[in-house]
Amino acid sequence: MSKQTSKKEKLGNFTAVDAPEYEAVLQCMRCGFCLPTCPTFMLTGRERSSPRGRVALARAVAEGRLEFTAAVKDEAFFCLDCRACTTSCPSGVRAGEVMEICRSQAQQQTPQGHMGKSIRDFILRRMLPDPALLEKSMLPARLYQRLGIQWLVRHSKALKLGPAWMEKAEGMMPKLDAPLRPQLPELTPAHGEKRGKVGFFLGCIMTLMYPEVSRQTVRVLAHQGFDVITPKETKCCGAPHLNEGDRQTARELARFNLELFLAQDVDYIVTDCAGCGASLKEYEELLAADEDHQRLELFRSKVRDVQEFLFDKGLRTEELLPVKTSVTYHEPCHLCHAQNISNQPRALLKMIPGVELREMNEASWCCGSAATWGLKFSEESKQVLDRKLANVAATNVEHLITANPGCHLQLAWGLKQAGMKQDVLHLMELLGRATPEN
Amino acid sequence: MIDKNILETLVLKLGREAVVSEPEDLLVLGYDSTPGLHHTPDVVIYPTSSEQVQIAMQIARDNKLPITPRGSGTGLSGGSIPIKGGMVICLNKMNQILEIDEENLTATCQAGVVTLDLFNAVAAKGLFYPPDPGSQKISTLGGNVMEDAGGLRGLKYGVTRDYVMALKCVLPDGSLLSTGGKSVKDVAGYAFKDLLVGSEGTLAIITEITVKLIPPPQDKRTFLAYFDDIRIAGTAVSKIIAAKIIPSTMEIMDKATINCVEDYVKIGLPRQMAALLLIEVDGHPAMVAEEATEVERILNDVGAAEVHVAKDAAEAASLAAARRTALSALARVSPTTLLEDATVPRSMLAETFTLIERLTQKYQLTVGTFGHAGDGNLHPTVLCDERNTDEMKRAHAFYDELYEQVLAWGGTVSGEHGIGIAKKDYLARQIGPGGVAVMKRIKQSFDPDGILNPGKIFIANGE
Repeated sequence: MSKQTSKKEKLGNFTAVDAPEYEAVLQCMRCGFCLPTCPTFMLTGRERSSPRGRVALARAVAEGRLEFTAAVKDEAFFCLDCRACTTSCPSGVRAGEVMEICRSQAQQQTPQGHMGKSIRDFILRRMLPDPALLEKSMLPARLYQRLGIQWLVRHSKALKLGPAWMEKAEGMMPKLDAPLRPQLPELTPAHGEKRGKVGFFLGCIMTLMYPEVSRQTVRVLAHQGFDVITPKETKCCGAPHLNEGDRQTARELARFNLELFLAQDVDYIVTDCAGCGASLKEYEELLAADEDHQRLELFRSKVRDVQEFLFDKGLRTEELLPVKTSVTYHEPCHLCHAQNISNQPRALLKMIPGVELREMNEASWCCGSAATWGLKFSEESKQVLDRKLANVAATNVEHLITANPGCHLQLAWGLKQAGMKQDVLHLMELLGRATPEN
Repeated sequence: MIDKNILETLVLKLGREAVVSEPEDLLVLGYDSTPGLHHTPDVVIYPTSSEQVQIAMQIARDNKLPITPRGSGTGLSGGSIPIKGGMVICLNKMNQILEIDEENLTATCQAGVVTLDLFNAVAAKGLFYPPDPGSQKISTLGGNVMEDAGGLRGLKYGVTRDYVMALKCVLPDGSLLSTGGKSVKDVAGYAFKDLLVGSEGTLAIITEITVKLIPPPQDKRTFLAYFDDIRIAGTAVSKIIAAKIIPSTMEIMDKATINCVEDYVKIGLPRQMAALLLIEVDGHPAMVAEEATEVERILNDVGAAEVHVAKDAAEAASLAAARRTALSALARVSPTTLLEDATVPRSMLAETFTLIERLTQKYQLTVGTFGHAGDGNLHPTVLCDERNTDEMKRAHAFYDELYEQVLAWGGTVSGEHGIGIAKKDYLARQIGPGGVAVMKRIKQSFDPDGILNPGKIFIANGE
C-alpha cells in the first residue's frame, strides 16, 4: 500500500485506497460545456453517461448520498476515457481521470467472479509486466496466421459461435511479424551532425503488432541526428492497468520504468505510442504520494511524444525525399486531449515534401477504440467509428494518418469492413518513407 | 420514490424507452448550472413528440405529481430544478428541425434542438438566427424560449423573444395550445406567445417553436480594447452608444475573468489589464468601415490602453469563443461560482463598476465581473466555496446591496437568466406586491392546481 493511500481518510462511500479527490469533483460547476464533446453522451443522450453526470455521480458517492452502485461502475467502464471533456472544460475538471479512478473502486468494491478475475489478473499482473512472456504469447497467433488457420477460421464462420468481441478481435489483428524488441539494438547511432541522445520507450502493442512503425521511428530519430537508446528491459507503461482499474500494478510498472529511464544517460524519453506517452506523462500524479517529487518532475520533463519532439527540435528536411500523396490526419485522443498535442503532427505532415494534407471534419473525435472499450461495447464502438469513417471518406485521400496503435487497429479494421480505399499509416511510417536509407 | 402503479402506467402509455426511474439517472437530473441547488425527481420522462408530453402531463395531473420541464440544464437561476420532486420532462430527445421556410424566413423546431445546431442549419441556407446565449453549443431552443435567453448579440439584434413567431405548447391539463404563426403581423387577441416566452416553465411546456430568420450581415469587424481602469471601459460603452452606433456585440471582462479565461484558452489575453472590451460592428461593408473608424476613435479618446483589431474571421471567432467560456473558467478559482444578472441603463455602467468594487471590498469577497456591457447586462460573479457559510452569507449581502442600488437606478434583477428560485425575493422588490399578485393570477388561470414547475418565480406563503 502506498503512503498516500494509507494516510488517506475514507471519502463517503469510496474506499480509502485510490479514491477520487473530493476537490476534483467539487470543481465541476455543471455548465455542460462537456456534453456535446462526449461520445457516450451523444450515443445515449442520458445525462449519467455524460462527463457532467459522471462527475455528479462520483460526487454523490463521495458525499455518501449514493452507494458505489452497479450503475456507477457501469458508467466508469462505459466512459471511453478519451478526455475530450477535459479539453472542453473551462473549469479544469478532469472527468476522464475521475472515472479511471472509479474503475479501481469498481475492482475493489464489486469484484468479478473467480474465472473473470483469474484471467484478468493473469493478463494484467503476469503477462503485461513481462515482455518475454508477452512475446511468447504472440507466437501461437503468428503461427495461426502463417499456417493458414486464420484463413480457415475467417471463412468458416467458426467465430460466429463465440462472443461478439472475439470475432472483432480476430478481424482486427494485423499481419504479425516477429516482435521488434529483441531486434532493436541497444544503441542506434545518430546520422550526420549529432543533436542529442534520446531514450526510446517501445510500447507493447508497437513491438508486437506494429513493429514496422517503431522500426521507422528509431530510424527517423537517428536520421534526424539523435542517438537512440532502447532499453530492452522496458516494461508495459501501465496504461492497460489504469484502464482496467488495477492502479497497484500500474504503480509498480511506473516505478520500474522510472528507475530504468532515469538511469540512462539521455536528454529525452521519446515514444511513438500516444497511449504510452499519456501514461508516462501522468506518472507524476500516479506516484505523487510515494516517490521523490524532484525525480518525478525530472522524468516528466524528459518525456515527449515523437511528433511533439521532432516538431520542437525542428525537423531536418534537407534530405527528405518527396512522397507524392494525399493524407488526412486522425487525432488520437491520448495525443490531442490527454497531451494537448494537436498542431505538431500537422506541421510535420506539411513539412514532408509531396504530401498534401486535407483536414477532415471532427479530426479529434474519438474513433471508438479506447483500449478494450471497442471490444466490450462493439455495437457502440461501431457507431462512433462510423462517424469517423464518414469524415475520412469525405476527404477522398490516399492515406489516413494517425499516431497511436489502438486507433490504428480500429481504423484499419473499420476501413476494411467498409470497403474503403485508404490504408492507415502511423505518421512515423510516412516520415520513414521520406527518410533516405542511410 | 414513485408509486409503482404510476410508473407502470407511464411505461404502458409512453414505452419503456421514454421512462427513466433508476436512482442514478434521477440523481443527475436534479441540477442545472445554478450553484448549490439540487433536488432529485421521482421519475424522468424523455418524450419524442408533443403527444407524449400531453400523455405524461395528464398522468401527472391525475396523480397530483409536480412537473418540471428541462432541456440541457444550462439554466442559471434554478428554473429546471424539481424542488418539489415529482416528474421531470426532459425534452432533449425532441431534437428535430422540422422546417426551414425560405419563402417566409422562418424555421420550425422541436423544443430540444440545440441552439447552435439551428444556427448552423439556417446558416447553410444563407440565413441568420441571431440569439446566441453563451451556452449556445449546449442549450436547447425550448430552454432559450422558457428563459427568454439573451446572448452576445443582444445589443443590436435583441433576445430570444424578438425572434419567436409561433409556439406549440402543452397546458397543465394536457391540452394543446398553439399560438402565433408565420404571419409577420398578428394582433388577434391576447399575446399568449409573448406571455409564454420567459415564463420559465410555469405556464405550459413548449414543444414546438417557429422562429423568425433574417439575412446575415454582409461584413463585420472585431476589436479588442484593453483598459487600465474598468470604469474607462464603462465610459467607452456609453460614448459609443451616445455616438449613435449600435455594435452587434460589446462584451466586457474584468481582470479576474481575463486571467481565468486565458488560463483555459491560452490565446495571449493581456493578464495585467484591468478590463477588456470585445466589440463587433457588422452590417453593410461601407457602414462597417465607417463605424469601425468611429469606434476606434472613441476608444482612443476615452483612454483605452490599446486597441487591437482582429486580423481575420478565425481570430474574431476565437475571441468570441473565449468570452463564452468566462463563467466556467471562473470556476477554476473556487468550487462555487455565484453569478448574478444585474442589468442597468447603459449610462450607469461606469457607476456600476465603482459600486461592484466598493461592495467587493466591503464584504471581503473575490468577484469576477463579465457580461454584455452594451446591454448594461453584467454578471458579477462571487468566487466562493459553498462549504464556507460565512462567505456565503457575505455573498448574499453583497448581492442584496447591489440589487438595491441597481433597482434605484432603474435597472432590473434579471437581464437574461430569469428569476427561478434564486431571485424570487428580488423580483418582488422590483415589481412590487401588485405586480406579483397579477402574475400569480395569470399563473392560476393557466395552472389552477399549481402542478407545473412549482416553487419558481414567486415567493409562496411561508417562504
